[in-house]
Order: sequence, then structure tokens, then C-alpha cells
Amino acid sequence: MLLNIRGSCWKASRYRRDRGSLLVRFNSSFPSSHFARLASRPASIHQIYQSVSTDPYVNLSIEHFLLEHAPPDSSILFLYVNRPCVVIGRNQNPWLETNLRKLQSGQDHGGNDSSNDAAVFVRRRSGGGAVFHDTGNLNYSVISPRAAFTRNKHAEMMVRALHRVGAVSTSVNGRHDIVMSMDMGQPRKVSGSAFKLTRFRALHHGTCLLDSPNIDNLGSFLRSPARDYIKAKGVESVRSPVANVSSAMGDAPAPFSIQAVIASVMEEFAQLYQANPDAVRRAQRAYAVKPELYAGDNWVAGAVGDSEAYGEAEITKGLDELTSLEWKYTQTPQFTFSTYPIEEDPRERPALPSSLPPSARAFLRVKHGAIIESCISTSMDPLLAAEQASRVHEALNERKLHELQLHQWIDLLLSRLSTDEEPESIRELAMFIATQFGCS
Amino acid sequence: MSAAARVIRPFASRALFQKLPMSSVRRVSPAAGFPRGSIRSFSQSPFWQVKKYTESHEWIELADDGKTAKIGITEYAAKSLGDVVYVELPAADLEVSAGEPVGAVESVKSASDVLSPVSGTVLQGNAALEDKAKFINESPEGDAWIVEISVSDPAELDGLLDATAYKETIDEE
Repeated sequence: MLLNIRGSCWKASRYRRDRGSLLVRFNSSFPSSHFARLASRPASIHQIYQSVSTDPYVNLSIEHFLLEHAPPDSSILFLYVNRPCVVIGRNQNPWLETNLRKLQSGQDHGGNDSSNDAAVFVRRRSGGGAVFHDTGNLNYSVISPRAAFTRNKHAEMMVRALHRVGAVSTSVNGRHDIVMSMDMGQPRKVSGSAFKLTRFRALHHGTCLLDSPNIDNLGSFLRSPARDYIKAKGVESVRSPVANVSSAMGDAPAPFSIQAVIASVMEEFAQLYQANPDAVRRAQRAYAVKPELYAGDNWVAGAVGDSEAYGEAEITKGLDELTSLEWKYTQTPQFTFSTYPIEEDPRERPALPSSLPPSARAFLRVKHGAIIESCISTSMDPLLAAEQASRVHEALNERKLHELQLHQWIDLLLSRLSTDEEPESIRELAMFIATQFGCS
Repeated sequence: MSAAARVIRPFASRALFQKLPMSSVRRVSPAAGFPRGSIRSFSQSPFWQVKKYTESHEWIELADDGKTAKIGITEYAAKSLGDVVYVELPAADLEVSAGEPVGAVESVKSASDVLSPVSGTVLQGNAALEDKAKFINESPEGDAWIVEISVSDPAELDGLLDATAYKETIDEE
């Protein structure tokens, strides 16, 4: 009672002050350096952006900035296309969900390093499973007040946008994904969703496979060599057959255009949230002419990219977090790796390569990305094997799994096992283990 | 209006005007006047024990010692999030301020931060949730607490919602 009365007295007097300091003329254009201020301006209740960056870290960090700093009653649409990458959910295991060897695992993410065509591995802040992105995949992201949010709201918005461009066989399924019915066989997934909820805000982002050139081998990026040996806590991906939206539109009069889908999504977003038609018009044209930002009384629209991201300290802070090896690897929920059945993971295991000693065994328990328990041995004699395992564990204990390179596995096992095993066999075992974790 | 009410009314508004903090109101309650120890034998619910809520759907319950507290998410939150598949627990000794994340819960592809209602230092995460995240759906305000903290200043709890005020906020949603 006391609390209620006190609350209502000072709310009115204290919080009625307008905090927006940016002078916005009707429908005027702004340099990119104004992005952060425009996006966090209390009046900017509708925001529509398309990114000109294809760096997944940059795009996820701009998105995170908008989630944290846009006004609490605003609704935002952010569209982006990433260069090839695998994006895993917040509570997933990269050693289980991706083929790390096929991905560039380093910290380098510079957009100017175009010589390296390898896909990168990214851990996002939202939940859900692992997905593959490339330049034929459109990512949509809607940030809105949490109170009016439902998990299907924006997937349905996307479906309306797809229908508008002629992809009429798409619909939302029970997992909040978008599927496309096929002439023959099961419906195929064209879009996956993930969410991040904060105190007052809800972020829904999703992929949309429009015209991916990698559609037939997405699986190879998402298949770990260690999947028979790893049992992980956390979130496992649900595998689904996929298709390109473009595949259903072979007989359309005009060639398939990603930009046309983008324009359609912007229209649908504006209809859902009753955004100013000027905002949509500006957003649709901003990308085509030259990257520019526009703002009206209650909206911001336009193109954003690397310069907006690197020009704002809050966004670079998010970028540093997302690219750090701590976030990418040590955020991984606890897991076991075992070449033989164990109580927690009694699955039958495939035979080990014949180049290994016949009684070779390897078990690791990894928590916060560090090895906390291990059992690696080659001897047939149980007593000797136990002794080997304890020698190896002394060297492995507390080591971060992602820091162990192939040559370190070789040196480490050679130094601990060579008294009772052939060096060549030890080298084979080290290579086998290292390969399971994507070392090369 | 009765004479008694007329006498009480000015006193009540004077009390409100002074904006007495909750803690000082509580200190003048008759129970505090009892000699220490004797009150214990009469009551199963000790004087210090208090459970409060936040608008972001966390609860916090101060233990008998008045210094440590358990934090979890409310029944309402557990129901609206759906099946919990993973709970991120904080490391011991993590220092948090009020409103900062002290853990996170994942359900149906959604990651949601669990915010600490008050400032403090993490003593432990609830290990029972490591193996069984879904426990949160079964007993969100009971044994499926998420974290135990050492509270920096128990008076911070006074600013939080009580059960009635919290219920009003969820009825509005």
C-alpha cells in the first residue's frame, strides 16, 4: 500500500522530461555516425534497417545493441545477409554441432580478409539450434515489446511476405519454423527461429533460405566427426530437410530476387506495426542508392553496416564479447567424449581405426571448456592402463580443450605414454583424438 | 465517520508523508519488543524470513540468517516460458548488482536472463538443475531455485514487490 502511493507521486514529476537531444527535421537524412543516437532516441518507435555488412559478428552485434538500447516501446526490423558461417545457439556444443575442421575457427573476423573463403563459426546470444548461413540466406530480426510478443507473430509476418512474392506454399509449423510444402514428399524447412527475451523486450530472429548455392551440402558443415562419441548437456539441434524458397518459383515470370523479398518483408512489418509509409519507402531505397540513414518524427530507417558498428563503443563491446574464445568455446555446457560406452552414454561405439593399438581408449569430461576428468590409455592390462591414464590426466587437467592443437596432443601423449607404447601408435592415437575436435 | 477513524486518519497521512522506509516500519512492530529467543518458540516462520518479487518475474527469499537468499523464477514465468531445456548457472563468488544477470534459462529456442533482484555475491548455483533443467517447470518457487547469494544489504529487499503487488503486475499483462 505504502509502496503504491509513493510510486504514483514521483513518477509523474520525475520522468516526464524529454531526454531526446537530437533535432530531427521531417524525413531528413543523417550520416552513419548518428545511428546509435537515432536508434536510442525515445521517439524512434519504428525502426527499419538493412545491413550492408556481411560479417555475422557485426550484424549480431548491431542487433544486440538495438535489443539493449532502443526505446522499450519500439518495434524494429533488421535484415541482413551473412557470408558463409555456422551459427550455433547460446547453449550448444561446437564440437558436437559443427564440423570445426571445415570452419575457420580462429578469432579473425575482419571483413577485409576476403582471401579466406572458409566459413566461420559463431555462437549467438539467443537459444535454439545450429544453422548454416550464406549469401543466399536472408536473416530477419524483429525486436519488440515483450508484453505483446508471441513466438509465431513474426514467423507469420515472414510467411505473409513470402506469399506476397509468390511463395504461396510456405507456412509456420509447430516449432515456430517456416516450412514449404513440396509436390512430392515431406514439407521442407526454409526458415528457423530463435529468441532472446530480456526484461521488457523480445528479440525474434530467423533465417530464410531464399536461394542458397550450398543447399545440397549444408549438412556437411553441421556434421561433427565426434558425434558418435560426445554426449552433451545443453541444447541439441533438431535436424530437418531443407529447401530454397526459389526452388518453388521456377516458373515465375521474373528471376528470383532477394531484394524483392526484403522489400516485401518491410511492407509486412510496417503493416503489422503501423509504421509510417515514409519509413518503408526510405528503408527500401536506402540500400539501392547509397547507404544512408533517414529519420522522421517517430521512425528511423535506412542502411547500417561496419561503420555504424565500429563507430559505437557499445557495439564494439558486444563484438569483442562475441568474437572472444571464452564466449565461443568455454560457454559450452558440460559434456563427455568417450570412445567406449559409459554409464551416461551407453551407445554402442563404432570400431576405432585399425592403426590404433587394439586396446586404446579415450575418455574426457569437459566443463566450462576445460578438461576436468580424463582416461586415455593404450595398455590391455587394467592396472597399467590405469597408471597410463593418471599420467596423461596430470598433463591434461584444467587444460582448455580449444587451446590444444594437434602437435600439443602428440607431444603430450608421447611424453606420457612412450615408456610402454610404440611412438607411432601414440602418434596415431593423438591424431585420432585431435581430429575428433577439429584440430588440423 | 466514527471518532476513532477521525483520530487515526491524520496520523496515517502523517506517516505516509514522512515516507518511512519499510524496514523502520517493521522494526517498531510488537514482535521486535520480545526478548530474543522467546519469540522463536512460538513461531515457525521467523521474523526475518521474507519473500519478494520483481517485475521481471524473479523471486527472492531471505533465509533465517537474514544474510543469504535464494533466487528463482516465478510460477508465472515458468509457465509462460514453456519447457525449460537448459539452465545456465553462475560461478561461485560472482558479484552481481541488482538488475544484472545471475543466470539464464533456455526454453523453446528462447534464452532469457535471470536478473538478480538485489546486489550480492553468488554462493552456489542449484546443482540439481544441471542434470534436470525441466525441474524448473515442476517446482519453480520451491526446490528448483536457481542461485543462492549472500545479500549485500538486506534492506534492498524492501524496494521489491510483495506477493500482492507482484500478482497485480501479472494481471495487467
